[in-house]
Amino acid sequence: MKQQVPLYLLILALMLFIVTTALGGGLFNQSGLWQFEWQHKIFQNLCHQNTLRSFWINGQPMAVCSRCLGIYIGFLAGWLLLPALAFIEFQAPSDVKTVLLGVILINLLDIVGNLLGFWQNTLVSRLVLGWLMGWTPVLLFSRDFFKSKLESKKDHHARITTDVGK
Amino acid sequence: MQESQQTLENEQPSYWTSVGVAGLIFGIITFALSLISIYAAINAEPTGSPFSATSLLGIVVCLVAAFGGMLATWHYANEYNAPLTLGRGALIGLLTGVCITIVTIILSQIWQFIDPDMVQQWIDATVANFEAMDLPEEQKQQIIDSTVESMRDQYNIFRQLWVGILMYGILNLLTGMIGAKIFGKKEADNTI
Repeated sequence: MKQQVPLYLLILALMLFIVTTALGGGLFNQSGLWQFEWQHKIFQNLCHQNTLRSFWINGQPMAVCSRCLGIYIGFLAGWLLLPALAFIEFQAPSDVKTVLLGVILINLLDIVGNLLGFWQNTLVSRLVLGWLMGWTPVLLFSRDFFKSKLESKKDHHARITTDVGK
Repeated sequence: MQESQQTLENEQPSYWTSVGVAGLIFGIITFALSLISIYAAINAEPTGSPFSATSLLGIVVCLVAAFGGMLATWHYANEYNAPLTLGRGALIGLLTGVCITIVTIILSQIWQFIDPDMVQQWIDATVANFEAMDLPEEQKQQIIDSTVESMRDQYNIFRQLWVGILMYGILNLLTGMIGAKIFGKKEADNTI
């Protein structure tokens, strides 16, 4: 399972593409009607793309809403940090699945509460909650792609013991 | 060593049933949701606002189609009780995304026989909505022309195919990998 660098790099490239596309035509100073930009068309079936619920760049709304943007950016940020997490021997919470479920429920609660008028969420609050939803699943992979220093030491020790046994 | 790994790969059960089941379920869900949003737009009164009841639906169904990969890996892990590597989970997710796209396209083509006027009615309703907007006439006409062209293009099979495979493929690849991690059994550790 360890050192699956090609898979790590593939996901990194795909996420960079997704995030760049999600930022919309404003990032490239496109001047056409935003509804017809390829970035918006690509995300058409995946996000409501409500301009009131999206960030704007250079006078153009992003191709996804602030929550979806948070999810993609959170995942990419977590993915970029995976090698660093292994390096600092980061210990993920013992039950990431429960944390993930909690984050999903908080997001659903936020959506329902806003729909029913209990509170008014904002661009930033949706971005932050989305970011949490994107970031948390990455913790599942904190030990899958890169060996932590601790594990490398264990491997080294195991090899020496085996050699002595022979 | 490589041979034994290859043998292990070959001994693993096929993932096509899981891909097919998840692809079919999420293809139907995605198609049904798009159908609901189109008919809601057709039957809505023109308000002049670019966002209406259909956008409300969009908020709820945001990203739904991305979870097919997770269902497929859950089905695979439960059905076959076989070890599931991240790479295999990613592959199952990717293929599920492709399957969702194909199912959605087939259903939308079938629906054009059931209700051949739907696309035209949808375009008419959207144009009526734009006409109710408080915009200069020239700008309004430009928006209407581009919208009509874009909506017709949305029902183009090749466009649906490449956009669907690209986006559903990538997102389901990610959820397939997450699913492999959550539901998959770990391979027996052969290292010392």
